Amino acid sequence: MNLRATLALLGALALALFVVGEARRHAAATPARRRFFRHRPAAWGLFVLSFFVTLAIAAPWVAPYGPSVTLEIVTLKNQPPSLLHPLGTDLYSRDVWSRLVYGSRVSLSIGALAMLVAVTVGAVVGAVAGYVRRWVDTALMRLVDVGLAVPRIFLMLMAIALWQRLPLALFVLLIGLTGWFGTSRLVRAEVLTLRERDFVAAARGLGAGPARIILRHVLPNVAAPIIVSAALGIGNVMLLEAGLSFLGIGVPPPLPSWGNMIADGAAQLATAPWTTLFPGLAIALVVMALNAVGDALRDALDPRREAEWDTDGATL
Amino acid sequence: MLGAMPIAPFSPRTTALTSLLCLALLGCERRGGCTGEYCGTLVFASVGEPDGLLPPVLQSTVGRDVSDQIFLKLADIGLSTNTMGDEDFTPLLAERWEWDGPLTLVFHLDPRARWQDGRRVTAADVVFTYDAYNDERVNSPYRTGLHWISAVTSRDSLTAVVRFRRRYPEMFYDAVFHMRILPGHLLRNIPRDQWRSTAFARAPVGDGPYRFVAWKAGENLELAADSTFFLGRPHIRRLIWRFTPDLQVAVTQLVAGEADALEVLLSPDNIERVQATPHLATYPYRGNAYGYLGFNLVAPGDSTHPHPLFGDRELRRALAMAIDRERLAKSVFGGHAKVPPGPMSQLWWIWDPETRELPYDTTHAARLLTQRGWIDSDGDGVRDRNGVKLSFRLVVPTTSAVRRQYARLLQEQLRRVGVEVLIDEVDFSVLLQRVQTGQFDAMIQTWNTDPTPSSGIGQTWTQGGVGRSNYLRYINPAFDQLVEQATASFDRAQARRTWRRAMELLNQDAPAVFLFAPENVAAIHRRIADVAIRPDSWWALVRTWRIPPDRMIDRDRVER
Amino acid sequence: MATWLVRRVAASLAIVFAVVTFTFLLLHLAPGEPFLPSGDTPIDPAVVARLRHQFGLDQSLPLQYAKYLGALAHGQLGESFALHRPVADALGDAIPNTLVLVGTALVLELLLGLAFGVYQAARARRLPDVALGYATLFLNSVPTFWLGLLLLLVFGEALRWFPVGGVVDPVVHASLPWAGRTADRLWHLALPALTLGCVGAAGTARYERAAMLEVINQDYVRTARAKGLPERRVVLVHALRNALLPLVTLFGLSFPFLLTGAVLVEWVFAWPGMGKLTAEAIFRRDYPVVLAAATSASTMVVLGSLLADVLYAIADPRIRVHGE
Repeated sequence: MNLRATLALLGALALALFVVGEARRHAAATPARRRFFRHRPAAWGLFVLSFFVTLAIAAPWVAPYGPSVTLEIVTLKNQPPSLLHPLGTDLYSRDVWSRLVYGSRVSLSIGALAMLVAVTVGAVVGAVAGYVRRWVDTALMRLVDVGLAVPRIFLMLMAIALWQRLPLALFVLLIGLTGWFGTSRLVRAEVLTLRERDFVAAARGLGAGPARIILRHVLPNVAAPIIVSAALGIGNVMLLEAGLSFLGIGVPPPLPSWGNMIADGAAQLATAPWTTLFPGLAIALVVMALNAVGDALRDALDPRREAEWDTDGATL
Repeated sequence: MLGAMPIAPFSPRTTALTSLLCLALLGCERRGGCTGEYCGTLVFASVGEPDGLLPPVLQSTVGRDVSDQIFLKLADIGLSTNTMGDEDFTPLLAERWEWDGPLTLVFHLDPRARWQDGRRVTAADVVFTYDAYNDERVNSPYRTGLHWISAVTSRDSLTAVVRFRRRYPEMFYDAVFHMRILPGHLLRNIPRDQWRSTAFARAPVGDGPYRFVAWKAGENLELAADSTFFLGRPHIRRLIWRFTPDLQVAVTQLVAGEADALEVLLSPDNIERVQATPHLATYPYRGNAYGYLGFNLVAPGDSTHPHPLFGDRELRRALAMAIDRERLAKSVFGGHAKVPPGPMSQLWWIWDPETRELPYDTTHAARLLTQRGWIDSDGDGVRDRNGVKLSFRLVVPTTSAVRRQYARLLQEQLRRVGVEVLIDEVDFSVLLQRVQTGQFDAMIQTWNTDPTPSSGIGQTWTQGGVGRSNYLRYINPAFDQLVEQATASFDRAQARRTWRRAMELLNQDAPAVFLFAPENVAAIHRRIADVAIRPDSWWALVRTWRIPPDRMIDRDRVER
Repeated sequence: MATWLVRRVAASLAIVFAVVTFTFLLLHLAPGEPFLPSGDTPIDPAVVARLRHQFGLDQSLPLQYAKYLGALAHGQLGESFALHRPVADALGDAIPNTLVLVGTALVLELLLGLAFGVYQAARARRLPDVALGYATLFLNSVPTFWLGLLLLLVFGEALRWFPVGGVVDPVVHASLPWAGRTADRLWHLALPALTLGCVGAAGTARYERAAMLEVINQDYVRTARAKGLPERRVVLVHALRNALLPLVTLFGLSFPFLLTGAVLVEWVFAWPGMGKLTAEAIFRRDYPVVLAAATSASTMVVLGSLLADVLYAIADPRIRVHGE
């Protein structure tokens, strides 16, 4: 660790603390924010998330080395944590801390982007199915049934097998496209109850088309459950990415993701546990933070709702 | 189960704890009854599972390890691993043999040899075996090795005669090494095209030192010593193969005392772990593999045009000189691999340290690249020429940790001379399809070789190998001629000189950069004595390994 | 109810059919040569060509599809390319192993989750609740296989309390009496089932805690309290009974996720189940095994949700079962 990296790390910590402090300072402003911070883990989760997001954005300053720089392939491989390499080095003599920092870019953006795809598709499908009903609803929901009938990891394994070299964008898209089934059911159920409400009927009476009604009137009113399922879903995507990497089909090297860092280190678990331990902890921390924030959001956005079971489960 | 825990202190050994559990649960005690010289249980940690145990149709290495304990060859290679002539071979099923003219070989079977169902092993079995190996319906991958044999007949019930089409130095090797003799009376009625999945292949009856006991798919496979084996009763009573999905779990089982032997540890990490374990010993032996970075010499998907980059010999030579092979081998294998002077494993006698190779010289490499017009004109760190970047895709299988490691290290080394390498890690099945159809730029390939160079070199590096395993499409008639000369020579010293000239020619052309030839390190429990490992087939002498009675542990005495 | 059931079963069959078709297409569109040499030995291309012919891979795709469906209708799953044995045998070996693992994990998940959830709800916002809250939050967020690797390292290799993978002890298992064999099995099952069950249990606990808190504040529980019933009885009888209902849904939902988790856990613990079999088959392009595995996995999932629906209908007669 050099001076620049240490200072940058301290800066990131300070910034994260500042974000949480600011958020709490304004917490009393609305009931929703008060409810959010009534969840004790929420503030903590917010801190972890802002810290890692800062790391991801400021990676070149925080990381003492480049993510794939091999320092000295014979004498510096698998070195335990030290002052110079706070999280040790890996099999290729790369600095684990630097890879962890750069890995946060990859892992967080995969999580966020894939979830964006999943939520968008899920919301649109759910809204259309719930609003249009009849055969469209039946067809779409049967599709969802089929999607849910194959364990997701098999689906991903087979889909990834289709491509000899999978561009990262496509990988993200694939994760997104295999993850919307739960969301669509959630949204459909909401829409089914909403479409009979007065303001929707009024809009229909004023001659608005179905697309307009869905976009302008229905979707904004189901935003809360969507946002919550998105927050929880990012974590699931990160766990899925880690699992796929472990099976050897994740993010292509030498780009570091927390998942492929665990996978790379797994072979040296007994002799160099730090290469596996730290990226795993990073995933656990961030997913934990996302879950905490997700829970708090749920209460904040919709006080009357009972805690809904997260249909995407975090079993992976 | 948990209730049993506090009763007794934890024991490090699985068997001990299991018997404690049994003790606590039932109040019973089963002390194994086996005592004396011929007890012993040897548990192999096995990465992967056999695809069957019927020799002509199995392909997996584990399958071969196991089935070679059950089925015998006529004769086997000796500890010298010399494959020329017949003098260094040791008798197995055949107690002796003689030449009847230059093209006819007569084997006299050992009259004591029996199938495990009691029937005698006869010359008719040998005839049946050759017929089966050579039958298209059986579709044996070993058939190619029998190419020069014209016929196998029986003279009487114990005499088998092998006739050849031509005379060459390794006739005897071909006659005995590829075929395991099969019981004709048990296999004759099974349709030849169903041998792959026939019941016999999962519960075979053979004539070797061990007989088949049980095979639980996904879990383990057990053999038991045949106490009447005609070449001497095997010392170790039970052989158990424990299947694990990967090498890491296998090593962990060894270290935890749940397995006794693993033939290759591969990484220096694993070797270090085993050496730090008091009950394990390591046995290094010459490896039979070599690996290289190979360049596709023709355009991907169009074999009529040269590859846009690698068609240029000087470029290949520059890349070869930019790679620090010694350091790479040191990083990946620790001290347990050599940089080969050509396409060869440590096992081969043609290994000649005097062979001339391209030096590691990055400045020369950089100069050469600049001379060929490859300069970094846009300052992005990658050389380019006429708007084309000096960048290629390197394909490696996801299944090979070594090759993945090499790919990433090579990527970094070549980056330093301004060459961009993009790594494609693909499933092995995809890799194979792509290299066979020429859809690749560069690959890292490893070959597990036969004990002799004569077939492997021809298949992989000569024109005759195009369409087989010469995936790089390296064609150099001068090289082909030298290989032909060398394999036809009966004089070993002269052959060795010819091989060296061939290798030097290959190195100058640089169709590939020969990266590593590993030394294998086996890990075996210290209680096992008389461990003899023949480098070409580590499992060949297991029947002579033994466990002295005073070193036996619980596992060895368990009665089945 | 009867017509509902018939329609539900018909829909389930349609789903399985769709999964088979989808899998078939995906597999055959994917690149990769199914017939490979094992290990890095050269193989004669003629041998591969004959194998492809023998297994009908040289025929047109529609023909192969028709043939596969025909065989499937007769209950024939074909022969594995790589394992050299009938697919039905391979599945027959693997499915019970997975069911044992997933079943145990499910029981652990429900029991542990329920126990912790109820305990936390009873001690809401006090120290044990907060501590357990963080613990379950953490466990619910770790990658399953990573947890498995760590457990294996600590309890398998370092402490040697549990075996390092496998289903039974290969040396002594066959010679043990019945009870010993069961103990041996349980002992091997402990780590993988805990790995798989823990993560799910954490989720169940978090969910059950919320459900209990909701119920505890409702009128009939307040009434029970007001009547002076002991707190233990109030929590365990009155509140729990009503907080159990949603767990039935959970049961149906968590099955596919456990199957997904099982793939990785089986991989880590060398557990010869469906997950490992299928993942390996996908890597090796062993088409018959992948197809059969997809068929049976989707059947299991569909059956699981069918079962959950039926249970739900029985448990809560207010639900209108016909039509949605």
